[in-house]
Amino acid sequence: MPRVFITGLGFVTSIGNDAATVTRNLRELRHGFELYPPFQRPDIPCKVAGTIKEFATDSADPEEWTWPARYAIKRDVLRSMAPHGLYAHCAFLQALADARLGEGDVSHPDTGLYAASGGSPYLTHHHHERQLKVGVTRCSPLGIVCSIVGTLNFNLVAAFRIQGASCGFSSACASSAHALAYAFDDIALGRQKRMFVVGAEDGNFDAIVPFAAMRTLSLQTDPDLASRPFDAARDGFVGTGGATVVVLESEDEVARRGVAPRCEVLGWGQASDGYNVAISHPDGAGLRVATGRALRQCGVAPEQVDYVNAHATSTLIGDVSEARMLHAVFPPATARPAISSTKALTGHGLSLAGAMESGFCALALSEGFMPGSAHISRLDPSCEGLNIIRTTQPVAPRIVVKHSSGFGGANVTLVFKKA
Amino acid sequence: MPEASQPGPGIGQPYVALARSFTPEDEAALRESLKRCSPSTFEAAVQYRKTGNPEHVPAVVIGVIERFVEPDLRVKLKDADDDLRLIEDLGIDSLTMMEIVILVEDVLQMTINNEELRNLRAVGDVKTFIDCKIRGLPLPKPMKFIPIERIGAVMPIQPPFLFLNEASVSSTGANGKYRITGQEFFLQGHFKDNPIMPASMMLEALGQLAVLFLLEGAPAEPGTVISPNTIFFTGCEGVRAHRVCRPGDTLTLAIKTKRMKMPLATFEGSIRVGQEKAVIAEEITLTFGYVDVATVPAATAASPAADSPGPVPAPLRVAMKT
Repeated sequence: MPRVFITGLGFVTSIGNDAATVTRNLRELRHGFELYPPFQRPDIPCKVAGTIKEFATDSADPEEWTWPARYAIKRDVLRSMAPHGLYAHCAFLQALADARLGEGDVSHPDTGLYAASGGSPYLTHHHHERQLKVGVTRCSPLGIVCSIVGTLNFNLVAAFRIQGASCGFSSACASSAHALAYAFDDIALGRQKRMFVVGAEDGNFDAIVPFAAMRTLSLQTDPDLASRPFDAARDGFVGTGGATVVVLESEDEVARRGVAPRCEVLGWGQASDGYNVAISHPDGAGLRVATGRALRQCGVAPEQVDYVNAHATSTLIGDVSEARMLHAVFPPATARPAISSTKALTGHGLSLAGAMESGFCALALSEGFMPGSAHISRLDPSCEGLNIIRTTQPVAPRIVVKHSSGFGGANVTLVFKKA
Repeated sequence: MPEASQPGPGIGQPYVALARSFTPEDEAALRESLKRCSPSTFEAAVQYRKTGNPEHVPAVVIGVIERFVEPDLRVKLKDADDDLRLIEDLGIDSLTMMEIVILVEDVLQMTINNEELRNLRAVGDVKTFIDCKIRGLPLPKPMKFIPIERIGAVMPIQPPFLFLNEASVSSTGANGKYRITGQEFFLQGHFKDNPIMPASMMLEALGQLAVLFLLEGAPAEPGTVISPNTIFFTGCEGVRAHRVCRPGDTLTLAIKTKRMKMPLATFEGSIRVGQEKAVIAEEITLTFGYVDVATVPAATAASPAADSPGPVPAPLRVAMKT
C-alpha cells in the first residue's frame, strides 16, 4: 500500500486566513472570538462566535460579497456559491500554492476531491422564502446548487475542473474527518494519486443559532471565557465557520514532484456509539473503539502517541465522554500523550472541524509544537490524570492522533506521523 | 403577468395600449433589479414601462446581457452586430442565459418559456425574440437540424462531391459543418505534398448549404416545392479567403438570405474554423424553380414539415433500385 502524505494546507478560519497566521495563533493561544453582531438581540441567547475576518458574506447576493483582493474569482464561479464556498475557494487556492500544484495535476483523472459541509441554511432559507413570495419562475436558477448539502463539492469540483473521485460526506461534526479518512483510503488502495479534502461551514447566524435550541451553545458574553473545553465551568460550544483544504498525495507523487510533505497520514479507524441521536455515549464507547482500531491499523502503541487533538467542544457531556475514553485508551500509568482541544481558540466548526483540526495537527508536526488547551482555569475532575497541556509545548510530536465525533454517535480517529 | 401574454397593438395602433401605470414603487423596484446595469439600460427600461414602446427593448436586452458578461468580454457588445454569438463569443452558458431571461422577464414584465430559450443563439435572436413577444407577433421558426442521412437523401449533389456533414436550417438561413478529412480526391493534387482545401471548394460548400436551405428551409408557395433539379449556381461576389484550411480543420459554414425572388436567391456566406474567419462571400446567387408537390418522387420531396430523417438515405436508395 502506498504511503500517504499531506503536502498542502489552506485555511480560512476564525484564527487566521493563512497557515502562518494560524500557526502563530495556535502557538500563542490567541482565540478568534468576538461578540457577533447578529447575535446581539434579546431573543438570541448566545452572543459569541468564532468570526471570519477579511470577508463579508452577509448578503444573499454573492455579487455583494467582499474578500481579500489576492483572490481573483469570476462572477460565473461566484454566483453558485454559499458563503462557505467562497471561504473554501480561497483556502483551495492557498492549498494549491502550499503544495506547489499546477493545473495539470489538479485537473486530472487521478486527482479527486472529498468535501463536507452542512450546506447553507442561510441561502436555503433565502431562496425558499423568495420562492414562496414571488413564485418559482422568478427565482435564481442556482438557488439549489448554492444552498443544499453538497454545494461545497459541486462548486469546487466545477471551479477547479476536478476529474477524479468526488463526493460529499455527511456525518455532522465528523464529516470532514470522514472525508479525509476515505480520501486516505482511495490513495492507499491506488484508486487516486492525489485528493483534496475540504471542510467548510457558513458559521453565520442561520448555521449556528439552531444549536441554541439544543441548549448546546455557550451563553457566555465574554469572548475570552466562552469556549473552554475540559474546564469545570464550561457551558457549551461556540460556533464558527470558515474552510480548510488539505492536500493528500501518494508517496510516488511526493517523490515525482519533489515536494516536502507536511506530515504523513498513517491511517484511521471509526466506530459508532449506537446510543443516542445527539448525545455522546457517557463513556465515549464509539470513540474508544475508533481510536483503538486506528492505532492497531497503523501499528502504533498507545505509548507512542505524543499528542492528541481532542474533539472536545466545550459541552458538558461531550468533554467528559472523551475524557473517559482517553483514560481507557491511554492508561496514565503507561501512556501520557499531550492532549488539547484547539476548539478553545477556534470554536466548533461542525462539518469543518475534522479537516481544520487535521490541518492543525499537520502544522504541529511540520512546525514542531503542540498547541495548548486554552482557557482552562479549573480542570474538570473527569480529566484528572490526563496530560491536558494548558500551554503550548515547543516540542515536536512524532505521532499525533485526531478525534472527531458527530451526531448519531459517529466517531473517526485519524493518525498522523512526522514526515 | 396576464397582461404580458396579451397580444400587442396592431400595425398603426398606438403602443399606449400596452403601457400600464408605472408607480414610484415600480420605479424603485426596477432600479433595484437593474442596479448592476448601465444607467442607459435603466432609462430605456423606464421608458418602455411608461410607454410600452418596443423601440426601447433592444437597449434593455443588450444592457441586461452586458451585465452578465465577464467584464473583459463586454467590449464585444459595444459595437456588436446581431451575429454575435452568446455561447462562443460572449461565454454565456445556459445558466447565465436563464439569469438573463429572469431579469428580462422581471424588467419587461413578461413570461418566457423554457422551450423558447433553446433557439436563442445570437444577440440578434434574443432581440428578435423579445420584440416578437412584446408586439404579439409569431416567433421566428427555430432552426431545424438536418442529419447527414437527410442531407444525403435530399441533395442533388452526392459524395464524393458533398461537403456537408451536418446542417441546420431556419426560414432565413442555414448553418453547417464540414470536416476536411484529407481523403478528398482533389487534395492529392492541391497541392503537391501540401494538401490545402481549395477556396473554390469552400465556395462550393457554401453553395451546397444554400441548396440545402432552398430544399429544406425556404418558404414555398402552397402545393409546390423547390425541385432539386432546378437549382444551379449563377454567380458570386465579394469573395475573400482569410485563412488556409487543411485536413483536420472543421469548417463552420453559415449562409443568410439577402434576397429571394423567383428564379434567383442571393445569400451572404461565411466560413469559420473555430473562432477564426476563413472565407467571406458577400453574395452567392443560385437559380431555382418550383414544381408541384405531386410530381416529386417521395424520397426527394423535402416537405418542410417533415421532422424525421428522409425515408431512405441516398446510398440505400441506389442499392434498392438494383
